[in-house]
Amino acid sequence: MGAALVQPLRIAVRQEEESARSRGGGREDEAELAQRALEGDRTAWDALIARYHHRVVVSLLARGVRVDRAHELAQETWARLVQQQQKGLLRELRLPSLAITQAAYLAADEARRQRREALAGSVEELPEAHHPVDPSASAERRLLSEEQLSRAQATLSQCSTSARRIFLLACDGQELPHAEVAARVGLSVQRVRQILCEVRKKLRSALEEEAAP
Amino acid sequence: MNQRHIHPAEAELYVLGEMEPEAAAALEAHTLECAPCAAVLQREALLEEQLREVAQATVPEPQPQVLRPARWSRPARAAVGVLLAAAAAVALVLLRPEQADPSPPQNDFPILALPESLPEEPLRLVACPDLSSQEACAAQAFARGLMVQYPQGVGEVPRYDGHAGLPPGVLEADGPYSL
Ligand SMILES: [Zn+2]
Repeated sequence: MGAALVQPLRIAVRQEEESARSRGGGREDEAELAQRALEGDRTAWDALIARYHHRVVVSLLARGVRVDRAHELAQETWARLVQQQQKGLLRELRLPSLAITQAAYLAADEARRQRREALAGSVEELPEAHHPVDPSASAERRLLSEEQLSRAQATLSQCSTSARRIFLLACDGQELPHAEVAARVGLSVQRVRQILCEVRKKLRSALEEEAAP
Repeated sequence: MNQRHIHPAEAELYVLGEMEPEAAAALEAHTLECAPCAAVLQREALLEEQLREVAQATVPEPQPQVLRPARWSRPARAAVGVLLAAAAAVALVLLRPEQADPSPPQNDFPILALPESLPEEPLRLVACPDLSSQEACAAQAFARGLMVQYPQGVGEVPRYDGHAGLPPGVLEADGPYSL
């Protein structure tokens, strides 16, 4: 009887280690990191920046910012947040949403400025040539139309309860690492990834579906 | 143009942050020189942001509660917990396959891992009468796609889904539900 039991335990331990690694020492440290950053701890800032920089870049790409500029704007976003903290203007640090909002603001601001300059200059210099989507138009509004949202939610409601729960845990803005999601729903990380991938695929077709004429 | 065009699957990997740094840098560099690929990447990023909006706009439903005895938080007792877990789950399912009466559970009933949907007919039990036959049962349950949750983590091993005749309201309970 021993052998049968040892096996699952070993797996469990290994997954604990994996999850601890991938979430950088536990979810609890998230709040602690934010607290230390609010107190001006530079290493805490570095850790948070390393964790969320890519998310900020992706959010800018979604709004049509070129990737090189997206990196620059994301850097500037972090610099501003640190500055605000040093001036005592930051009461709480909710990441990544605060950084994403700040970055969207910077992108919109820049797009407005560029448009003003372009209107004063030649037509060829219109920034839209580099921006598939005008960030100033999309920064303040949601990226989803109502129809898309209801289609996506209808699709979501057809998924299994656990798939829905996994999707909401992974994507609700808290950026819960997959290992943490797995721990909460009692499935392996691999299975969670699989399920997320399936839900993504379904939602993608729901979102990209042409609105009925 | 220093690279072949970007496949949507690669753009997805990039957006999810699952790409090796060199590959990600090459992909980024390519999008600066190739407008169609920049559009592919933007579309992927947009989808990712939209998924988050969907999630944030969706009110999470009440979650099934996983009831864990307090002792599970003590790693030293994990092994004991597993033994009890297996034994209790087996006993519970064996004894009360379709009993609706919520009589007090065994001391250490380890987990209420709720099935995604309640079975239409009473669960055909993957019977594990004792721990010595667990391995065989495990294989059988695995074939049926069942999983088991262990106290200190989760393994790719079968779960004896204890469909224990829960009283109505348990699934909607806000907190741990006392049986
Ligand atoms: Zn290309």
